[in-house]
Amino acid sequence: MTAAGPGPVIPNFGQASACVTGNNLFCWGWVRDHWGDTLEPHLVQHAELTVVAVAIGFAIAFLLALVSHRLRALDQPIAITAGLIYTIPSLVAFQILIAFSGLSNTTVEIPLIGYSLVILYPNIAAGLRSAPPDVLEAARGMGLRPRQVLWRVELPLALPAIIAGLRVAVVSTVAVATVASLVGDRGLGYPIFQAMRLPTPFKTEIYSAGALVVGLALGFDLVLVAARRVLVGWAQ
Amino acid sequence: MGAVIFDVANGHTFLQGFSFVGDHPGFLAHKALEQLELSVAALAIAAAVALPVGIILGHLHRGSTVAIGASILGRALPSILLIAIFLTILGIGFVNNMFALAVLGTGPMLTNAYASVDGVERDVTDAARGMGMSGLQILRRVELPLALPLLFTGIRIAAVTVVATAPIAAIAGGGGLGDIIVNQASYRLQGVLGACYCVMALSAGVWLGLLALQRIVTPRALLTRVPMTGDN
Amino acid sequence: MIRKHTRRAAKAAFAISLGVAIVIGLFAGAARPATNTSPTIVIGTKNFPEEYILGALYQQALQAKGFKVTNKGSLGSTELIQTALTSGKINFYPEYTGVIVQDVFNKASGKTAQATYNEAKQLEAAKGFTLLDMTPFSDIDVVAVTNATAKKYGLKSIGDLKKVGSYKFAGFPECQTRITCLVGYKKDYGIGKVTFVPAASISAYTLLDQGKALAADVFSTDPPLSKPSKYTVLADPKHITGFQNVAPIVKTSVVQQAGSTFASTVNAVSAKLTLAAMIAMNKAVEVDKQDPNSVAKAFLKANGLT
Repeated sequence: MTAAGPGPVIPNFGQASACVTGNNLFCWGWVRDHWGDTLEPHLVQHAELTVVAVAIGFAIAFLLALVSHRLRALDQPIAITAGLIYTIPSLVAFQILIAFSGLSNTTVEIPLIGYSLVILYPNIAAGLRSAPPDVLEAARGMGLRPRQVLWRVELPLALPAIIAGLRVAVVSTVAVATVASLVGDRGLGYPIFQAMRLPTPFKTEIYSAGALVVGLALGFDLVLVAARRVLVGWAQ
Repeated sequence: MGAVIFDVANGHTFLQGFSFVGDHPGFLAHKALEQLELSVAALAIAAAVALPVGIILGHLHRGSTVAIGASILGRALPSILLIAIFLTILGIGFVNNMFALAVLGTGPMLTNAYASVDGVERDVTDAARGMGMSGLQILRRVELPLALPLLFTGIRIAAVTVVATAPIAAIAGGGGLGDIIVNQASYRLQGVLGACYCVMALSAGVWLGLLALQRIVTPRALLTRVPMTGDN
Repeated sequence: MIRKHTRRAAKAAFAISLGVAIVIGLFAGAARPATNTSPTIVIGTKNFPEEYILGALYQQALQAKGFKVTNKGSLGSTELIQTALTSGKINFYPEYTGVIVQDVFNKASGKTAQATYNEAKQLEAAKGFTLLDMTPFSDIDVVAVTNATAKKYGLKSIGDLKKVGSYKFAGFPECQTRITCLVGYKKDYGIGKVTFVPAASISAYTLLDQGKALAADVFSTDPPLSKPSKYTVLADPKHITGFQNVAPIVKTSVVQQAGSTFASTVNAVSAKLTLAAMIAMNKAVEVDKQDPNSVAKAFLKANGLT
């Protein structure tokens, strides 16, 4: 039943600026007005998605690399499985997972973790193998047990490769996470996607969200370069 | 009860996707063809730009930053952003997506074209120069045949990347199987999944098809070569 | 010394990422049940601006009256949001009466808006969901032509399209197979010889403007239809497109637990949602690029609902 009563007051919701209605290339006014309600929340979501995916992907890749470092026979199967995961396009992976875990963060995170895992595993594994044989000889000669050799020699020497892998993984995850927006309101892909679907695609929103995506990737990359300088200064 | 991540009941939808394919083969084939058309057009443009540039740079052994950078940029640029930008510049339809996907396909082709020609062993090119061959002759008769495997691999990678990303272009009027995938409201989840399976089949088909083509085109002597770094 | 430093750093990095993984896993897995008496209203919406606005309106109105509300935002199409509702992920979302009857329960729509609502209410009640009051506005398919076209052929109602003879008709792809769309128009009115132009991602209004279609199937709450409009909506006296008033679906147990102010608060909001109001709010979000939450806030304030 509809309730009877006087009609509603329709307030003035505020006209869009001429810049926005004209769909000019870039409207700073809109960016300023909507930083808090649109751009910043999605930026934070995007950063969170990326960090979680890469962190978990790293943990798994690290474990797998340690295992296959010890049991070399496992390297091929793991690499092949990783390659197979990589062939699944991100859009497809997200949609298939919707059938299983619905429109949740899980659906979004699983493919992202998978893709970063695929990038990180070969890098970590290769890094671990990169210790020169004579260095390993020397270490063993000094009486170090295999576990000590791993932590004190192989791992530090693997750091450049690990960080290189992290850089690629992070940048790649930031890019793929934009597709996650097709699963729901998560990340910077969402404002881009919404702006595209309007009768006239809204340029400012696309460009500002796009700039933030690129900026986020660059920002993460710079952090990792700085980390490398701190941790591996001797190699540079 | 949150510990259960997977809703077992919906594993059923996963299988229903296959029955959707079985029920609408003609429609899906038509859409797949649309997607191939767009992809081929995009790849043609990408090849027209990336291959000559990559080959020449590789031959001259210069511009490695550009060549390698192209791939890094390609990996960092979200495809959805590329599609959105071209949408705002060229409007909705076929052409805007063709260019967006072309940009996407340029990276792998350029990098591999460069690396393949640049990586030809110096001894071989030196010998050829010693025999009096001109730069162009060396390129045509020595470098290109030797570079073919890696070069073609770059084309294969670009092709699969473009075909697999084309669904996203449906939002900008690109058509193809993406029309189904992004229209979940009309086609329901099982339709979307069916289209997804078709995309994967299409990508696999393109990869295998180009692989077969590569085998045919590669000079017999090279088929037993030890792969160069970067081959996959 | 450097090696000890990097070994520790590596250990720390690994431990941190493992820790993050575990913590995230716990958060992702755990659904924290509400332990106190007043239930949390968990709202979800479908994935288009009108629904975002509705979600924001109900959320803010309830919060103003002291209810605990979470808005999960856009959850997708009917199929997906229904799964979220039945699985308990959300307990409140604004749905269209016709969609409930026809798409969710596969039954025929009622002959009037009230009949459709009543039927939807009964069907939902049987499943443990309460349908609150419906809005005055109805978001239905309508056929639009440009004002010039309407004048030229003297078009007032859908059946008048016969006079045009042979022309192009635009609409979303599924329109050509739907009884509540092109199939119904042809069958019940006879609209002349029509070539269908699918408007998947391009706006049907753009096609009308460019002359690429003479008539188009659009929605009654679209911003281009806000008065004064460049387009004329043709009358549908036989109500082929059915009735699609909005009515919030709420889990019955939540309605009972929440108390009497809950239903009256929601209904007070719904009562104010006339066609003009909805079109105006859609325009603010889609054309003037305002944020749905701010638009909802302004509307509620202007009508004394916060």
